Amino acid sequence: MMTEDFEPVTDTVEEQAPVEACTKCTACNTVCPVARNTEIFRGPKLLGPESERFRIPQEPSVVAGLDLCSGCKLCEVTCPSQVSIQTYIRRAQNKGARERGRTLRDFLLGHTRLLGTFGSLTAPLANLGNRNPLLRWFMERFVGIHRKRPLPRYQFLTFERWHRRHPRPVRARRKVAYFYGCWVNYNERRLGEMVVAILERNGIEVVVPRQQCCGIPAVVNSNTDLARKYGVQNVRLLAPLAGEMDIVASSTSCGLMLKHDYSHLLDIPGAEPLGARTYDICEYLWMLHEAKELDLDFQPVPMRVLYHAPCHLKSHGIGYPAMRLLRLVPGVKVEEVDEGCCGISGTFGVKVEKYDLSMKIGSRLFAAVKAAGSDAVLADCETCRMQVEHGAGASSAHPVEILARAYGYR
Amino acid sequence: MKTDLAVVGGGLAALTAARAIQRSDREVVLVWPGLSSLYFLYATIDVLGYADAGAAEPVDDPGAAVAGLIKDQPSHPYARAGRPALEGGTKMLLEWLREAGLVWEGTLARNVLLPTATGTPKPSCLVPASMAAGDLRRADPIVLCGFHGYQDFAPELAAANLRRSWRTGNQVSAIRIAAPGFDADRLFTSIDLARSFEDRGFRAEVANRMRRQISGDGVRVGLPAVLGLTRAEEVYADFETALGYPVFEIPTVPPSVAALRLFDRLRKHLQETGVELFWNAPAHAATVTEGRCTRILLKSAGREQPIEARAYVLALEDWVDGALRAGVHLVRDPFFGRVIAEHAVPSQRTAESIFGVQPYAQLGYPVTDRLQPADETGRPLADNVFVAGGAIAGYDPSGTKSRGGMAIATGYRAAMEAMAAA
Ligand code: SF4
Ligand code: SF4
Repeated sequence: MMTEDFEPVTDTVEEQAPVEACTKCTACNTVCPVARNTEIFRGPKLLGPESERFRIPQEPSVVAGLDLCSGCKLCEVTCPSQVSIQTYIRRAQNKGARERGRTLRDFLLGHTRLLGTFGSLTAPLANLGNRNPLLRWFMERFVGIHRKRPLPRYQFLTFERWHRRHPRPVRARRKVAYFYGCWVNYNERRLGEMVVAILERNGIEVVVPRQQCCGIPAVVNSNTDLARKYGVQNVRLLAPLAGEMDIVASSTSCGLMLKHDYSHLLDIPGAEPLGARTYDICEYLWMLHEAKELDLDFQPVPMRVLYHAPCHLKSHGIGYPAMRLLRLVPGVKVEEVDEGCCGISGTFGVKVEKYDLSMKIGSRLFAAVKAAGSDAVLADCETCRMQVEHGAGASSAHPVEILARAYGYR
Repeated sequence: MKTDLAVVGGGLAALTAARAIQRSDREVVLVWPGLSSLYFLYATIDVLGYADAGAAEPVDDPGAAVAGLIKDQPSHPYARAGRPALEGGTKMLLEWLREAGLVWEGTLARNVLLPTATGTPKPSCLVPASMAAGDLRRADPIVLCGFHGYQDFAPELAAANLRRSWRTGNQVSAIRIAAPGFDADRLFTSIDLARSFEDRGFRAEVANRMRRQISGDGVRVGLPAVLGLTRAEEVYADFETALGYPVFEIPTVPPSVAALRLFDRLRKHLQETGVELFWNAPAHAATVTEGRCTRILLKSAGREQPIEARAYVLALEDWVDGALRAGVHLVRDPFFGRVIAEHAVPSQRTAESIFGVQPYAQLGYPVTDRLQPADETGRPLADNVFVAGGAIAGYDPSGTKSRGGMAIATGYRAAMEAMAAA
């Protein structure tokens, strides 16, 4: 058999996409949800590659307008020349914050594990507090968290502790490591339980390694220094495993950090092999399906659902594996709502000065969700789900929840 | 990922191919290289504006002119695609635009002559209804309106050029108004204006300000294409009523609102009808085994991702979207790894005059009669790959105003071939 495997052509100029790769086409500006909704934001072209030419490491940073970038990465998804727009903006934000000093709020929002540990230990109280108008007024006034933004509920039993008591399956044909992330650990343990149930149902043992926060909350709070510290710890903890098994993540942005941003944005040595073995959970399940290893013995789930593709999922470059999986389940009617960014972008839409903007960005999605009507809006990213619930009054779920139901999981 | 068919590209050729496949109820994924050529180039769809790059008089009947061209130049992309592909593709596209909610006009039998933003008459075949009243073959006087501080359309310049080049030229005048809420010192683009036009109050106020400056009966009013981004049909109709004169839009330089409307709507419509999109994963290599392409590789986050289809349409356009890769001396095709051109110095790729025929624009994939990528002897490199759009060698629509028609014809033909080969 004659096989010609054509190697990708390497061409330094385009492969590395330095600022010179920007052709000034302005495509990025036209899709930037922030630029679309506020005229004071100068857009990714100017703040990314164009400003980058004038950024000198020894000189103080000019940060005007930079923190309005929500980090959605739609600019990079759209740029035909693969310019690392976000990398420029994130590093400049970080340098500016380092010079000016970081605010208490950004410190807190960047330290998700700290918040989570506190929140889950004091869960009933913290949850009550988060809904107390007086406390919320106080938080808005002194911390800068908008009082109308519903905050996630904390749970006393963390996923880590739940899993320690969870019995290992007797027989498994392979193992996979689960990067559950702060969200599953402190706020939505049930999602983690479902991921474990689905994988075990398919004969896969779920290894839950020790892990640090992926670092995305720090990145979006102008602290790539802290994110890098977390990233280095994760690479140390997880890279040895990556030699033996795949790693799955159920939070879109955690997965993207492991896959891409550790090596590209944060320059962490040794991150590439880890990234190459990291999969989004739906991407992984679809792979199982293509390998004819996914158990298709589904019970019908009679539901009409809408699917919202998170911006960071688009950034994964894996298409829509959740939609493909959902179409395997009898009874499910799934339609995509493509109205772009939901507006929350992690902790962006939590902040007092950005809440209104975040709701304005999401307004098109909210209107489409309301007009379409559905039993639930599915989104892989937890903050998208929070935003859709808040803005459109719809109930929401991670797509794997439908699979879990189809497997009879309650 | 495994699929029946895969289309690579984001331009009109790619969208046409994806639609043709989707319409036949076949499974197709669209590997999208970013917002590239479509966004720059397609405010209207030009089939053949001039018989050759040097012709002085525009073509009247583009369908007939293409037929003549096919006879005279058997290696022209139109000849490779064939006239039935142009006709079938155009018919499909017009139906598609309607189904997707875009109101367009035109037939292959006739060109209209529309003004550009600099005031040159340009022959086009299919045009948005909002531009149709700009036809320069009509005799009614024109008032061109610009906005203070908006730099991409100077009505005075366009009017002066039109007066010079257009037969009844003394009937063009220019006015400017201040767009409400837009400080003339602020830098703003057509996108900003288009978003504001979606607001009813803004439209009414613009209409008021314009009406105060327009005199004369029976005039039509031309303004840059900024009449709404998403609900453009509604915005246009409402604005025309508010103004009380026939209105036409004139396409602007990028960011072109007209092109964005077209692109966004068609792309979304594909998604609504079940075409899966791969964002942010540029395709950049192909594996060929025994004369068949078994997979293409995508650069996804973290790793290469293979797409295994039974047949592929490579509908990339140019240098920007990854159809060709240029180093200092070599131009290569990243999919099959061939050297397409060699230059002692890169300046050999460009002509002295920017209006001249550009050597770089002629570069591309040599193709077979079925649009498969061909080797030096003209034999297919892979039986199940079909090339469409600007990546085809000798595809240079700039002088002849034929970009849209060539995209439709090659995209449609490539899709038909791919479905037959899958
Ligand atoms: S990441 Fe999103 S908000 Fe930031 S510049 Fe890019 S598109 Fe705009
Ligand atoms: S889309 Fe990319 S190439 Fe175009 S202006 Fe933005 S960064 Fe530059």
